[in-house]
Amino acid sequence: MDNVALWVDETILGGVIGGAAIGLFVVLFFWTTGKAVGASTAYGNVCAIGSRMPFFRGGDYEKILNWRLMFWLGLPLGGLVAMLTSPDAVSRGPFYMGERYETLFAAMLPGGGTLWLKGGMLFVGGTLLGLGSRMAGGCQSGHSICGMSQLNPPSLVASIGFFAGGIIAVQVMFRVAGVV
Amino acid sequence: MFKMIGFLLFGGLFGFLLSRAGATTYDFYANLFLFEDMRLAIVIGSAVAVGAPGVWLLKRARAKALFDGKPIAFKPKGMKRELPVGAVLLGLGWGIAGACPGTVMAMLGEGKFASLFVIAGVLAGTYAYGLANNRNVTPLPTRDDSKSNAA
Repeated sequence: MDNVALWVDETILGGVIGGAAIGLFVVLFFWTTGKAVGASTAYGNVCAIGSRMPFFRGGDYEKILNWRLMFWLGLPLGGLVAMLTSPDAVSRGPFYMGERYETLFAAMLPGGGTLWLKGGMLFVGGTLLGLGSRMAGGCQSGHSICGMSQLNPPSLVASIGFFAGGIIAVQVMFRVAGVV
Repeated sequence: MFKMIGFLLFGGLFGFLLSRAGATTYDFYANLFLFEDMRLAIVIGSAVAVGAPGVWLLKRARAKALFDGKPIAFKPKGMKRELPVGAVLLGLGWGIAGACPGTVMAMLGEGKFASLFVIAGVLAGTYAYGLANNRNVTPLPTRDDSKSNAA
């Protein structure tokens, strides 16, 4: 579904309120559970289910059904509730990715892009997310939001890297495809 | 058991907040990296502007976690040599997929099923990292398959 509702549609106020709520959440989560918010390590828990590799058998993955996995499994529930409570929710197709990305894929992929070509690109993007998050030790939740709230210098370095990568990827793709 | 449900609900709340902030809206990522709409950068900035003082207060009060009564251990992630390269790789994936490891799961719940391809990719990338670092695992692995992993 598309058109999930925002706190406020306007950019600045919407961003400030949206971010503040997330910041409050980080603090609430620390206070209640004593743990730092994070979303990327849980993918390792899932890998550990089907793997006998030593890498996935100790440390963070010693107990697969741990708090990180539960938190990660909860994320889609939140998205579901968010969409169910969105008065302007509309379906533009199950794999719709918003006007800008759809325009990009149509221009960039041969023949306007079949679902599998688009899926292939997304799979590559996901692989970079997975590999990158393990190398960086976290993702935007763990580093940019939670890490920087702890004034952690490596998290600032990571966040700069995240943004650099995002800017490079989008600028290159959109310019080469001529859809800027 | 109740704590595990608690974590599940917390994850739900976080996913909901990500949605309402606009972090699950694909267009906002394209707009951000094309410098046309700084909304999501404002989200992160605002989150830290609220989160940092809150964390400071918790530290100052030597607050104890409600779940277990133990002092909250703030152990921020350390620096690794591969961190900067990894961060850029993650960023590239972020730009390509219009999602990150957390928001993609919230998107799944919203019915944005393009997320399935991304999630499969994140699993593959995580697994690849495991393959590449398998020989670096020390000390000996502790998980014993003969023991149940049930919560």
